[in-house]
Amino acid sequence: MDATTITFIIYLLGMIAIGVIAYRVTDNLSDYILGGRSLGPGVTALSAGASDMSGWLLLGLPGALFAAGMNQIWIAIGLAIGAYLNWQLVAPRLRVYTEQANNALTLPDFLENRFADDTRLLRVLSAVVILLFFTFYTSSGLVAGAKLFEATFGLPYATALWIGAGVIICYTFLGGFLAVSWTDFIQGILMFLALIIVPIVTLMAVGSWDDVTAAVAEKDANFLDAFHDMTLLGIISLAAWGLGYFGQPHILARFMAIRSLRDIPTARLIGMGWMVAGLFGAIFTGFIGIAYFGPEQIEDPEKVFILLTQVLFHPLVSGILLAAILAAVMSTIDSQLLVSSSAITEDFYKQILRKEASDKELVWVGRLSVLIIAVIATLLATDRESSVLSLVSYAWAGFGAAFGPIVLLSLLWRGLSRNGALFGMIAGAVTVVVWKAQTGGLFDVYEILPGFIVCGLVAILVSLFGKPASEDTKAEYDRVRAMWR
Amino acid sequence: MDATLTPETWYWLLIPMPLVVLLSFLSWLIHAVSGKHKEG
Repeated sequence: MDATTITFIIYLLGMIAIGVIAYRVTDNLSDYILGGRSLGPGVTALSAGASDMSGWLLLGLPGALFAAGMNQIWIAIGLAIGAYLNWQLVAPRLRVYTEQANNALTLPDFLENRFADDTRLLRVLSAVVILLFFTFYTSSGLVAGAKLFEATFGLPYATALWIGAGVIICYTFLGGFLAVSWTDFIQGILMFLALIIVPIVTLMAVGSWDDVTAAVAEKDANFLDAFHDMTLLGIISLAAWGLGYFGQPHILARFMAIRSLRDIPTARLIGMGWMVAGLFGAIFTGFIGIAYFGPEQIEDPEKVFILLTQVLFHPLVSGILLAAILAAVMSTIDSQLLVSSSAITEDFYKQILRKEASDKELVWVGRLSVLIIAVIATLLATDRESSVLSLVSYAWAGFGAAFGPIVLLSLLWRGLSRNGALFGMIAGAVTVVVWKAQTGGLFDVYEILPGFIVCGLVAILVSLFGKPASEDTKAEYDRVRAMWR
Repeated sequence: MDATLTPETWYWLLIPMPLVVLLSFLSWLIHAVSGKHKEG
């Protein structure tokens, strides 16, 4: 057994151990779904970041920089600004409002309580969308994790898939939100260290920064130019990824779970510091990688991070750095898995099927839901080419455009009505699906942008010209608003 | 757009990212100085 394998095994056992510890402090559904709103600022910040950033941060972004140069940075800029605005505008308001709105534990729960929607349409619609997309999202993440295992250890794909899924199921099943958040915290630290160490050591191997830019210019001078081959629409389209943050249920859950409103400035600083350092690390891994490999071509640009760790580090350190990629993948999957389970447990079982269910029963329904969704997602992932997994490409834009403007408006505007929220959500989602199916000209713009605009406009217009928000919900908004000001 | 830009242009483009960290830091500092973090 080599050093890299030993490192991986220790890492996986560590994750399971965290699950067991979290199991011992999980007593009720609020603990299982939201950690009893007890997260400190560090865990909140890193778990929000690690849930957000999947393997893309260590594989996709460095690969894009390596293959095309600096014109790929726009997506990173858009994401950093979007995440900051999410921390600034949404985090404090959502933390206060979800607790005040009948202690809402999920996003559908919040929407129903915010608009006093007794038809349950908002809850059911949003919970179904979350359940459906996150099951596919989880499945697609499992495929990525299994491919990594397969490539690193030469394990058969199916074995790799079930080992990865087994570990995630184990700690999520046992410890729920606390296990997911604590493992995300550790995984976030691993990702951070890997993205700081790899570009620095690669830079030292190349020489100086001037050597890097000279080598990149020698390969292709356009690689230095962030505007090369970029139209204004292209730049806007990449930066628009940042709009997705306002509607991602697995990230918003972290804001809802922070211990106190007073911890948010610290969490925001840690979260943004982590994210920007990570994005810079990924950008420079790809960029300095161009200089390191020089004219030499590598088969798959997305493997640039993996190749650098294997070439430049001792197998033991390389194992830790590779575990960071697995950490990035797992930290996203576990959060999405738990949010899907929450939709079943809180939004269907507790609210609609069995209102009198005891806390103990609900926690076990939550655990069972995790198990069922994870098994379905894993079975879907056994066919790595499954066309159903392409649905994931709708997810970031779909959540961003359907939920994002509604979450923002519901926290910033007292006049948003229940119909405004409902029709806005539907209009945003439909726009994303229709826009994505078109190509050429304006339709090349990433669908989140038109979806976000249409959702917001419909929500505002329906609220202004349709049946207005009730005086009760407006009064409730004013009462809660006084708490976060 | 390329003609008006030097290859070093991209250095400037990285400003928005550190800027959001700086804004987060200032907001944290204001919060800390105002003593709100010690309440409750």
